[in-house]
Amino acid sequence: MPHRAFFAFIFPSLLAMVLFITLPIFSVLVQSFYVEHDAILTTVESCGPFGCDSETKVDTEAMAKLRADAPLGKFAGFSNYLNRNHLAVAEVGAIFSDNNGIGDIGARLMNLPFYRALAFTLAYCFFVTPLAMALGFAVALAVNTIPKLLRGPTIFVSLLPMIITPLVGSLILSWMFNPAGILGAGLQHLTGDPTLSLRASPALTWAVLLLYGVWTNGPFSFVVFYAGLQSVPQDTLESAKMDGATRWQSVRFVIIPHLMPLATFVALVQLMDNFRVFEPIVGFSAEANATSLSWLVYNDLVSQDSAQFGSAGATSVITIIGVLILLAPVLLRTWRDFNRKVV
Amino acid sequence: MAQIRLVNVCKRWGSYVGVDNFSLEIADAEFLVLLGPSGCGKTTTMRMIAGLEESTSGEIWIGDRMVNGMEPKDRDISMVFQSYGLYPNLTVYENIRFPLRVRNVPKAEHDARVMRAAEMVELGPLLDRRPAALSGGQRQRVALARAIVREPNAFLMDEPLSNLDAKLRVSTRAQIKNLHHTLKTTTIYVTHDQIEAMTLADRVVVMNKGQVQQVGTPTEIYDRPANTFVASFIGSPAMNLIPGHIAGGVFGADGMQVANLAAANGPVTLGFRAEDAQVVSDGGNIQAPVYAMELLGDATLVSVRIAGALVAVRAPKDFRIDIGAPLQISVPLSVVHLFDASTGARIAL
Amino acid sequence: MANTRPLALRGLTTGFLAIWLIAALFPFAWTVWGSFKVEADFFSRESWWFAIEGTRTQAQTGGSFTLAGYEGAWIKNEFWKPVINTLIVTICVTCISLFVGTLGGYALARSGQRYAFWILIAALVFRAMPHITLVSGYLLPFFQLNIWGVLPTTIVVLVAINQPFTLWMLHSFFLSIPKDLDESALVDGCTRFQAFRMVIMPVMWPGVVTTGLFSFLLAYNDFAVTSMLLSQDNQTMIPKIASFLGSIQNEGNVMYAVAAVVSATVPLFVLVLFFQRQIVSGLTAGAVKG
Repeated sequence: MPHRAFFAFIFPSLLAMVLFITLPIFSVLVQSFYVEHDAILTTVESCGPFGCDSETKVDTEAMAKLRADAPLGKFAGFSNYLNRNHLAVAEVGAIFSDNNGIGDIGARLMNLPFYRALAFTLAYCFFVTPLAMALGFAVALAVNTIPKLLRGPTIFVSLLPMIITPLVGSLILSWMFNPAGILGAGLQHLTGDPTLSLRASPALTWAVLLLYGVWTNGPFSFVVFYAGLQSVPQDTLESAKMDGATRWQSVRFVIIPHLMPLATFVALVQLMDNFRVFEPIVGFSAEANATSLSWLVYNDLVSQDSAQFGSAGATSVITIIGVLILLAPVLLRTWRDFNRKVV
Repeated sequence: MAQIRLVNVCKRWGSYVGVDNFSLEIADAEFLVLLGPSGCGKTTTMRMIAGLEESTSGEIWIGDRMVNGMEPKDRDISMVFQSYGLYPNLTVYENIRFPLRVRNVPKAEHDARVMRAAEMVELGPLLDRRPAALSGGQRQRVALARAIVREPNAFLMDEPLSNLDAKLRVSTRAQIKNLHHTLKTTTIYVTHDQIEAMTLADRVVVMNKGQVQQVGTPTEIYDRPANTFVASFIGSPAMNLIPGHIAGGVFGADGMQVANLAAANGPVTLGFRAEDAQVVSDGGNIQAPVYAMELLGDATLVSVRIAGALVAVRAPKDFRIDIGAPLQISVPLSVVHLFDASTGARIAL
Repeated sequence: MANTRPLALRGLTTGFLAIWLIAALFPFAWTVWGSFKVEADFFSRESWWFAIEGTRTQAQTGGSFTLAGYEGAWIKNEFWKPVINTLIVTICVTCISLFVGTLGGYALARSGQRYAFWILIAALVFRAMPHITLVSGYLLPFFQLNIWGVLPTTIVVLVAINQPFTLWMLHSFFLSIPKDLDESALVDGCTRFQAFRMVIMPVMWPGVVTTGLFSFLLAYNDFAVTSMLLSQDNQTMIPKIASFLGSIQNEGNVMYAVAAVVSATVPLFVLVLFFQRQIVSGLTAGAVKG
């Protein structure tokens, strides 16, 4: 395709991505170096019948003007990144220089909002991804054995947890896990602990969020693996049978190697998606016990008094760096493949 | 109708050379075949003429216009693709009519021209079908009809027969030959099948690794191959090639001797065709045990191994011999070709 | 046949599949059923039989089923407004995404150039960007330009955010259409655009339908963008449901939210019901190429 035709075709798409993906990333980067203006205070003298009082007040008029003149706020360098709500360099330094062992370090780090969110985000990524893939693979193997007629409805039902709006799906589960909901009440009954609830137990919150993750991500692996199973070379399968392979050995030596490239793809997509976990925390109202990087950004943006763009920007930049680190193996491999192809 | 001229045409991708310095004049109404193994640059050459690929350097002329940088649609050529490139959503009739439609040929002419083209390739009763409902041979004919409906400057055909079964290939080959005779349109035809090349071509261009090996009529190429590549590519079975030495006008190799050769001393490759040599009972140039015997129906192919090469000879159809039995083969001086041992180029005798 | 399985294995497979299907379906079935009850039944500490039989519902309303939740959500809280907004947003996003994406995806599939490859890689990176981080980049500029809070802005942003995904998916669908087809058209006398419009698009529609479904789902399921970029009056369904939780839960009208959630789920069920095959093929299209 000639260059001119190519760019004519791709222009609208490229424009949209540059304007609404590339530019916002820069905008976030710039924001992350600014903080909110300090309040401008004025002293107002009010004299009443009992003498004069001087009172310090925020000068709303001056503040409005300042905000209009410099909407970004006040330049702050890296302070957004280093303060307690983000990398918390000073606090982390203090924790490491004076602590009572690993347990203490962990516990104290978990009190810092950024590290708490990072811990949950990574846990969600690295627990949910493999478990959901295992679940999807098992379901795919099982569906592959049932009669053709039943497969359609089975696939229909299996797709539902994936297709559901994340916020809605997590709301539905959170109502069921409510102490008065069927699963929450059931859990209390099983454990014999009438105070057990998501709100009261961080461990239970984490467990339920991870469970939700596996529930909603499993179907994707299932569909991809199921499609992969349809293309397993029958010749190889049959020759394995002739060679005397057991059922498990056929799975181990023929089916799994055949699905490996698909598994890599699924793992990549799921890691990317799970890293931005956000809606479940809103849906389960889990912020007291578990937060994620995306949720931190959201929380800064909707904060009560006024949006903390600087803080949100800093978290965003750190999150973007996290995404790049996660993608690095793929990018490096593609880069190497590409160079090999050219030479 | 036009002549086509290529002047020093090159195609490179990075450091990879696809076509190297290709120059050729194709006369009006000529049937030219580009022949070579896959990856030799023949298809690339054709695609550069069509405008589907831009040449890296050199000039391409169609008629009296230099077409470099021109869109394919402005070059007024038509092309038959290996997998036919039929439009699956259109009927046979609409497929054939498509070039007239997009080129704004007056609507009144469409029907007559489509019907004439369809008639020529015997598609009459299939006009309402869609390509998916056609057999391979029928699709191939739709592609041909679509190419001829427009009466373009030239036809380009990219291995049009390679997806057909052997029997259909023979009849379609004849049909293409006949079409060319009727329409007298300049045709460039790409194939890796030397039999197609021999049967169809006015002239053949043999290519290998992006370079032209030989240009000539089928007879020239068969009878006087320019180098060992052409010799081994043309003919079935391929020409026997035996490495050896010339000393005092005598070619010698392990198990073979040919005398009275007017060539300088040194290493050479000797070639001869299977049908030019004979199995004899005594005094043959080659003496070796039989390696294999294959019945072809009209003849028997007997082969021996000498000097590391497999050498085949055509014997009469009722000839029979056991594997391992001693065999003598006579190679007359008149059928011998000599090639330079290092460059592979033909040595004049 | 050598394919018959031992009974134990068959039992195990069936049992496992049954458990999975219950896990996948039960939450929806339970919530849909419960949405026709009163809150005391839906959240019943005493026995979950109350929710099934509707004991309290009977006591409070006289029947085993009640539409009170739906009435509260749709009429009292005007849930139909966000529904209309959602309709506008998803339809516009799907159409624009497809229009822009087919052009771009076609170019990427047919260009063997190095820059096409880099655009695809960039799209892959963009696809991994958490949406909320992009949103935090939009807010200030949008406030400054005074385009915050309205539907068109949200539509354009969603189109852009969906572009990387749409491009990849359409790109792989276009790759499955033989190049011969374009080239025939070019030689037959088409311009690039004519070839795209007259020859490629007619055979591309299954891919377009599938990609359209996913564009629709992305727009429909979005919470990060719609909740942050739309003003209260212009909200779509999902952020509206979230704001129900803030306001209604405290007033004890959780059932409105339940009814709204069920209302928002129904279109998705219908979608899967009718387009199951396309969804499956779409999910695997990326995998086969990826």
